[in-house]
Amino acid sequence: MTNRNPLIRWDYVVTQRPAISAALVEHLQLTVLTVLIGSLIAAVLASVALRWHRTRQPIGAGTAALYTIPSVAFFGLLVPSTGLTRMTALIPLVAYTLVVLVNAIIDGFDQVPPEVEAAAEAMGLSRIRRVLGVRLPLAVPVIVSGLRVATVTTVGLVTLAAIVGQGGLGRLILDGLRRAFWTPLVVGALLSILLALILDALFVLLERRLAPWAKRRTKGGRRQVARP
Amino acid sequence: MALAQAALPRDVTLRGWLLDAAAWTGPSGILPSLVDTLVLSAAVIVTAILLAVPSAAVLAHLGRARVSSAWVVNIGRAVPTFALAALLVPVSLRAGYGFEPWPIFIALTLMALPPIYLGTYTSVEGVDRAAVDAARAIGLRRREILLRVELPLASNVIFTGIRVAAVQVVATEPIRAFLGGDGLGRYVRDGLGQRNDTLLIGGAALVASLAGMVAILLTWLQRVLEPAGVRRMRPSTSIDQGVPVPPSEVATVGKWSQPSGRAMPEPDRTSGRFAPNL
Repeated sequence: MTNRNPLIRWDYVVTQRPAISAALVEHLQLTVLTVLIGSLIAAVLASVALRWHRTRQPIGAGTAALYTIPSVAFFGLLVPSTGLTRMTALIPLVAYTLVVLVNAIIDGFDQVPPEVEAAAEAMGLSRIRRVLGVRLPLAVPVIVSGLRVATVTTVGLVTLAAIVGQGGLGRLILDGLRRAFWTPLVVGALLSILLALILDALFVLLERRLAPWAKRRTKGGRRQVARP
Repeated sequence: MALAQAALPRDVTLRGWLLDAAAWTGPSGILPSLVDTLVLSAAVIVTAILLAVPSAAVLAHLGRARVSSAWVVNIGRAVPTFALAALLVPVSLRAGYGFEPWPIFIALTLMALPPIYLGTYTSVEGVDRAAVDAARAIGLRRREILLRVELPLASNVIFTGIRVAAVQVVATEPIRAFLGGDGLGRYVRDGLGQRNDTLLIGGAALVASLAGMVAILLTWLQRVLEPAGVRRMRPSTSIDQGVPVPPSEVATVGKWSQPSGRAMPEPDRTSGRFAPNL
């Protein structure tokens, strides 16, 4: 007797290819949309925090508090008001990216050496040019590492958005679980894991390109901490 | 998957449900579900501590594996917990272990490892060299240096890692209800399935308040458990000051290699940023 329900049935993958790629595309769309919206909001919040020092603590605490809301609860709580819509998926997803992105932007600007800022000021650059032309480029590597964490986290969370009827690959997973038919489950799970790992690797490459000095620093750092 | 669904008549209000003793104690009641969640979460955390703390402490003491552990930590954080747990379900069934609880247990443990490992590694490595040199000068052996000097000095940051992991585990455990298990997430699942907003909102509130309470409890516990000698060494008693690695730097291998040792201005900035939660 042949096993009708192996971990993966390739004929099913072949016939369902359009549905699978649609799920993958939806997954990517949600991820990109989330990180984009998250970045915009984080940029505003971080600017406020950098400009007015007093707002740092509340902004940090607020975004951290959002992050601690359990995902199942967050998605669930929104359903009565926003229904099983994309909005219900997006609100928690965006909220979860904020803590990482806001802190990445703040840290990115903070780690710019004050001498650089002083030199730019001495050269007579206006405040806007000091921020956009000097500090921002130097902050970019740290901001990108924040984007990396936010993106990879979001790929995983999008999977869970399937419980509110969204979430691309996550729907394949839930579908497989409901029918106890492993092929869609395995395909959905493997693809989302792969997607996360690939995006993570792409960001590593991007970080290297943006901050080639970081790698050299690594070697120095290692020597520094060598123990007797 | 034979699941006892929490059946709740539609006309019951949120208060009516949460204030009903039967809703708490019955076989699919809130208390047994809460116990389910707590038992699994505790098992996950204990396992993760046993796996991560000794290995990270020894490797950091020896000054080894800094780059390779950064890679392992980063990959561990990148893997989506829900997808991994789902993937393990058919594997577990075929191996004869059933739907539950191994898939979710393994996925949650993997999620808990990175913050604990990272906290231990960076803090043991970041222990003041002068203290280690002094310990060596008075004749302590390497093992004693690790156990009696480095680990106590690092304990606060190690606990921060454990706290972050524990809160994440408790907050993520409810996905188990969508993977053929129960636990406190069952009411959200059943509320969604039955389109019953009372169950849904009440269940979500239960899950969220449990995570909040665990976070508060562990923060308090951290303050209480801090060794008195270590507390005296620090200028301030604020919990998270002196965390050696700004977490945004944790994300990159290169950055992680250079703990900057600056104190963190706000008390709880680490919590969100060690690992992705689900």
